[in-house]
Amino acid sequence: MRLFNRLAAGVLALGLLAVPARAQAPAPVLWFQGTRLVFEHAVPDRGDIAVSTRDGGLRKFLDRLGASVAFEPQSRYVIVTAQDRRTIVFTIDDASYTVDGVRLRAPFAVKADGSDAVLPFFALARALYIEAVPNGAETVLQPRVGVLDVRSDGPRTFVTVRAAMPLVSTTNAETAERLQITFVGQGSSLEGVRKPAGSALDEVNVGVGGSARVPTTTLTLSGIPGTTHRIIPADGPQAFTVVFEPRAGDADAGAQGATSPAPAATAAPPIVVGRSTVTDLTIEPAADDALSVRINLSSPANFEWHRLLDHRWYLDLSDTTLSGPGRDERPSFGAVQSVRVRQTGSSDAPVVRIAFTLSADEQIAIEPDDTGLTILVTNVTALDAERNGSGRTGLPAAAAGTPTDEPLASPTPWKFGPAPNGSRTIVIDPGHGGDDTGTAHNGLVEKTLTFEIAQRLRALLIAQGWTVRLTRDSDVDPVSNDNLARMRADGKPNADDRAYLQTRCDVANSVNARLFISLHVNSAPFSGARGSTFYWYKPQDAPFAQALERAVIAAAGTQDDGTRHENFYVVRHTTMPAVLIETAFVTNPADVELLRQPSFLQNLAQGIANGVKAFAGTPQASSVSAQ
Amino acid sequence: MRGVERYRPKMRASRALGLLVLFVAAVAAAWWFVGRRPATVGDTIAVYYTKTDGVTLAPWRVSLGPARDRTSVAFYAVTQCIAGPPPGTPAVRFPAATRVLTVDVSGASATVDLSHEVAGASAEGSFAESAEFKALVWTLTQPSLGISTVNIRIDGARVATLPGGHLELDEALSRASF
Repeated sequence: MRLFNRLAAGVLALGLLAVPARAQAPAPVLWFQGTRLVFEHAVPDRGDIAVSTRDGGLRKFLDRLGASVAFEPQSRYVIVTAQDRRTIVFTIDDASYTVDGVRLRAPFAVKADGSDAVLPFFALARALYIEAVPNGAETVLQPRVGVLDVRSDGPRTFVTVRAAMPLVSTTNAETAERLQITFVGQGSSLEGVRKPAGSALDEVNVGVGGSARVPTTTLTLSGIPGTTHRIIPADGPQAFTVVFEPRAGDADAGAQGATSPAPAATAAPPIVVGRSTVTDLTIEPAADDALSVRINLSSPANFEWHRLLDHRWYLDLSDTTLSGPGRDERPSFGAVQSVRVRQTGSSDAPVVRIAFTLSADEQIAIEPDDTGLTILVTNVTALDAERNGSGRTGLPAAAAGTPTDEPLASPTPWKFGPAPNGSRTIVIDPGHGGDDTGTAHNGLVEKTLTFEIAQRLRALLIAQGWTVRLTRDSDVDPVSNDNLARMRADGKPNADDRAYLQTRCDVANSVNARLFISLHVNSAPFSGARGSTFYWYKPQDAPFAQALERAVIAAAGTQDDGTRHENFYVVRHTTMPAVLIETAFVTNPADVELLRQPSFLQNLAQGIANGVKAFAGTPQASSVSAQ
Repeated sequence: MRGVERYRPKMRASRALGLLVLFVAAVAAAWWFVGRRPATVGDTIAVYYTKTDGVTLAPWRVSLGPARDRTSVAFYAVTQCIAGPPPGTPAVRFPAATRVLTVDVSGASATVDLSHEVAGASAEGSFAESAEFKALVWTLTQPSLGISTVNIRIDGARVATLPGGHLELDEALSRASF
């Protein structure tokens, strides 16, 4: 092995001799985590090493750190994403680079080489919290504790350390007010004593020790008298968080802190059935020095706008509520001096008002769409500008903001959509099946749950007098050979995938069903997400989704995550009112407990059946049959 | 007088023809110029993420480097979006290790090719799936980029849906898709 290493070093040195100009010095011998880091082609350059993004050695190095590099020849950016999602951005032919937005300077500019780019390796390593430490004739790439973040939230102070590699710690000493931890295998550039003013901490002490190859960092946290501490989950193995707080602190606040270390976390906005809610409002610059205000709404809303004589302009969204506090902003661009967003009106007839103070009578375009509207304030003064107008979101853009004699769409969401087709058949689609298990967590499998709910729902709907068909009657993923042949013949990609989904739609389309209900169970990458969501696509789906939402939440008691317009295949490609219900989350402890109870599955089915009755009534008794 | 009367129509015809040619050339030049005019991009660009309620979008602004051409900025914006907001920000994030392979911009359409990790375990269910792609589409369709539709590829291939089986991915996505 030693002979091999010597041979490799010799070959590398010979290779470097062949490189002219700055390649006079040999590349240093690098060690990382106990193994030699060998690049396929590395050129020393002004104190750093030029390494290509395709170099196998660099790729292995990044893999060990959980980082990845993105580059394509058409783009001038080379972007490395660290394990903790920070980005290190290089630009071709530029020596400056940014680390999570902070601009730094590398010894040399990044160069493109065909489909490849050549980066300064040490600069990149440093951004990933890896420091090159000389160790005799060799250089050790030493993982570091790179960030010490101390921040206070009321009486609590959070201390988070972030490192290059997963943190392995040993606790040296611990009392309520003091904690001393040593991180083995991690060095640090943060050595020193700090006294954070106005926090629950009296002192933060970072000491370093060990050797170049096996460094240690010791963190000593001393709270002010009367405090205690606890270690809380951080957002990954490379981070470690401790919270210090008053010993006799508020129990509720403490409990909240235990589960939510990030004080900025926000709860889902409340959605009121039959009333629209502003779920998000974004103010940002647009092209040609314009200002764009984007308003996302939970459901369609009527609006009217007025231009006042003193260069003020406002738009009122009727029967709409704000999900958060109002806004007051003074954009530093465009012709808008200020933007104000307020909740006005009464509790029975709430109105959200968006008001601008302009520098003149600038032209304003209103662009409603299915999910809200965009107000674009241009930098062009309007001559003889119109003084008022009205419209409704959920309509094509051309129909809005234009005075019209046509009556507006009814504000009652139950009235729009085509007339019922008179069918007495409802199709239930138990999501997934067969080899397609759907999501599976905590011992719960989606395909099993959806089939269980579907069977309960079928019985309830038959009792109401409906003819009921299921897209699958057993643990299979249904697909028709006709669909497979047709999809494969039409030249589109993904023929098989489309055929499977289309088969489910065809069950409903072929019998011209009155309604289509697709049952699913949700999952999320974190355990906090919970509740029921009702997805729709076509306009006639929306009122059905709202009816189901109201009935299911009342019967099953799940958190109401609202109705959402989404481009989902089975609701898009069915021809009747169709809704995909994500009943609950198999990744949330509270929802998991519910999903394990047969009574909850029955309540879900009962809620859906109630929603069907509220939306479509009941069919004639003479048509009852089950298939 | 008669000679003059005969001469005038000839002058008018040739002048009209010349003006017509000039007009056509001007329209063609304007068409070409408008079609090739680079989008106006400032020093920063908005990158969207979806909050943990799964539906609320929020932007954060990232500084651009010296490259301001549309393809570079689109690639930059997509990579930042996949990386997600700064650590500690509560957000629905793309599965770890998801990489941006290519971003092609043509006219008002962009095609984003992502690595297969995007279809990893954490992408199950409609919750994360729609939240992630909503943020990606909103990032790419911000006004300064001049992009209105986004096509998705995974490891270079078109797919009907992600394993969650919900969001239709083999047709172009736009802000109206969500």
